[in-house]
Amino acid sequence: MATIPMTPAELDEPKTSLWRDAWYRLVRNKLAIFGLFVIIVLAFAAAFGPYLTPYDFLSQDLDARNAAPSWAHLFGTDDLGRDVFSRVIYGTRTAFVVAIVVTAIAVTIGVALGAMAGFFGGWLDRIIMWLTDVTMSVPNLLLVVVINASLKAPLAAWMEAQYMATLNPFFRETIWVDFILVFGSMALISWPPYARLVRAQVLSIRSRPYITAARALGLTTRIILMRYVVPNAVGPLIVSVSAGLGTAMVLESAFSFLGVGVNPPTPSWGNMISDGLRVWQHYPHLLAAPAAVLGLATVGFSFLGDGLNDALNPRGSK
Amino acid sequence: MQGEPLLKIENLVKHFNVRLGAFGERGATVHALDDVNFEIIEGETLSLVGESGCGKSTTGFTILNLHQATSGKVIYKGENIATFDDKAMRPLRRDLQIVFQDPYSTLNPRMTIGEAVGEPILFHKLCTKAELPDRINRLLTDVGLPPRFAGRYPHELSGGQRQRVAIARALACEPKFIVCDEAISALDVSIQAQIINLLLDLQEKYGLTYLFIAHDLAVVRHISDRVGVMYLGRLAELATREQLFANPLHPYTQALLSAVPEADPVLEKTRQRQVLQGDVPSPLNPPTGCRFHTRCPIAQEVCAQTIPEWRQIEPGHMVACHMVPGGLHA
Ligand SMILES: Nc1ncnc2c1ncn2[C@@H]1O[C@H](COP(=O)(O)OP(=O)(O)O)[C@@H](O)[C@H]1O
Ligand code: SF4
Ligand SMILES: [Mg+2]
Repeated sequence: MATIPMTPAELDEPKTSLWRDAWYRLVRNKLAIFGLFVIIVLAFAAAFGPYLTPYDFLSQDLDARNAAPSWAHLFGTDDLGRDVFSRVIYGTRTAFVVAIVVTAIAVTIGVALGAMAGFFGGWLDRIIMWLTDVTMSVPNLLLVVVINASLKAPLAAWMEAQYMATLNPFFRETIWVDFILVFGSMALISWPPYARLVRAQVLSIRSRPYITAARALGLTTRIILMRYVVPNAVGPLIVSVSAGLGTAMVLESAFSFLGVGVNPPTPSWGNMISDGLRVWQHYPHLLAAPAAVLGLATVGFSFLGDGLNDALNPRGSK
Repeated sequence: MQGEPLLKIENLVKHFNVRLGAFGERGATVHALDDVNFEIIEGETLSLVGESGCGKSTTGFTILNLHQATSGKVIYKGENIATFDDKAMRPLRRDLQIVFQDPYSTLNPRMTIGEAVGEPILFHKLCTKAELPDRINRLLTDVGLPPRFAGRYPHELSGGQRQRVAIARALACEPKFIVCDEAISALDVSIQAQIINLLLDLQEKYGLTYLFIAHDLAVVRHISDRVGVMYLGRLAELATREQLFANPLHPYTQALLSAVPEADPVLEKTRQRQVLQGDVPSPLNPPTGCRFHTRCPIAQEVCAQTIPEWRQIEPGHMVACHMVPGGLHA
């Protein structure tokens, strides 16, 4: 491209300063930093916690059932004498894995379909938008329950058969069935908002006068994409991904709570809350611990999302 | 108006193919611009007026090859640039610039003022990197902005200030010709005058040629050398400012003029407002013959059948109307 006199380094310079600028705005926002801090702590717990906890999340101590919080068991123990602190930390891992995988799948599908719809328009656009409408019009819970009810048994049976045939230990882990179903059904209900967002972004940015102005200046398509379209499209997406991670954690807990998510004995905040709810009058710590951590995570992602929104969209002040 | 034509627009046509219906099942054609002919003389301000949707922006965009012409020619430096592709246009983009209507969306919200103004300078290699800050300062000063604005983002500026930035960005290319597409329509009245004065100063300083697009005649009265009146994708009349305001020939021009307030209070009192009947027909299905015939107070049978010829009535005074008598043969 001999016609581009600017070196890539020169092109990148303003872009980094743009992000630096957003970063400065973000760190000045105390709530956002609090959210970021919470998320980092939880993410650390999710990544390394299970190796650092004093107890295995499955190890039972039947002599110390339903123990109140103490130095030995920070959040007490549950009805099987399992350490609640260790289980909450392991539940954090479950929550993060589910949230990250589900959001990654949903964002990938959403960005691909949304960008195609916005860019190509026409019948492709109409089909994709019809798909989002249909998906969004089915109640989330209903969809997940139906998927679980109809696929769980056959999938488990298939895994069983595979194990019998191959003796491959992979097929013995029923946890995969859970995860595949949870990931799949949650991603299925989570992608449409991303698709709509990206489509709207592409459509609106494409028709902005500043794009025409850039063309009128003679800039190449590559520069227009890199400096005009992407920076303007990516901000709202980052914001919605941050909020989406929090939402996915809540969804995971909600589905586990209702018994259509991750199954016991894998610790999940949702099934811990569900168990805790049955005995909360006698052992409130069994409900309080997972609920508090879920609440903290939700608040963390929502504060960070708001902060990102303000930092990345300086126009918001207008 | 004497002088060399900078641009010649010959039989320029721009149709948009659109899809209608809930499922886009029906194709249709928007006749945004049909068979337009005029020249833009070096150093002049040629204004283009007409109701919203009559094809003024399309004219500007098609001249600049931001819309690809359906047919017809735009002659610049002896070449028909209407057929140029992006790459061939690139060096010419420096000469031919545009300022848009909406100051709020004409600047990339992610770029500072300095970056916005500096970008075309670097891109077209108009100075070295070391000279760039100096250039940006000079351009901002030229458009009446303090150089310290270079580090600001568009959202920190008012509408008028943003429009000044947009003008500076166009100027950065060192252009010969600028399309001002309703560049002041979205601004407060007090600011409109400032921006007009700025444009006139810059024209004098840099010898610029303007195609000044506006939707009413009042604005263009004081700044134009020549004025073109458009109706539904066609030129109705084009003349020097004096000719057009003193002796409007086309019934549509006359109607537009009757809506312009007179500065003189005595004249203003006796001003007869001529209100046109009916709505502007759809450019999807424009009327046959003279496109104005559905609303013209003096339309005759011929008007619905035959497209009126684009004729010269007196030197420099063009009109397209069957009922205007006379005509010069060049
Ligand atoms: N990109 C486009 N696609 C389809 N129709 C268009 C497009 N741009 C303009 N038009 C139509 O062309 C006609 C002229 O539009 P425009 O040139 O913007 O008018 P003006 O600038 O005089 O208000 C209008 O009917 C408008 O709807
Ligand atoms: S040609 Fe006929 S309809 Fe058109 S402006 Fe003239 S008189 Fe009116
Ligand atoms: Mg317009």
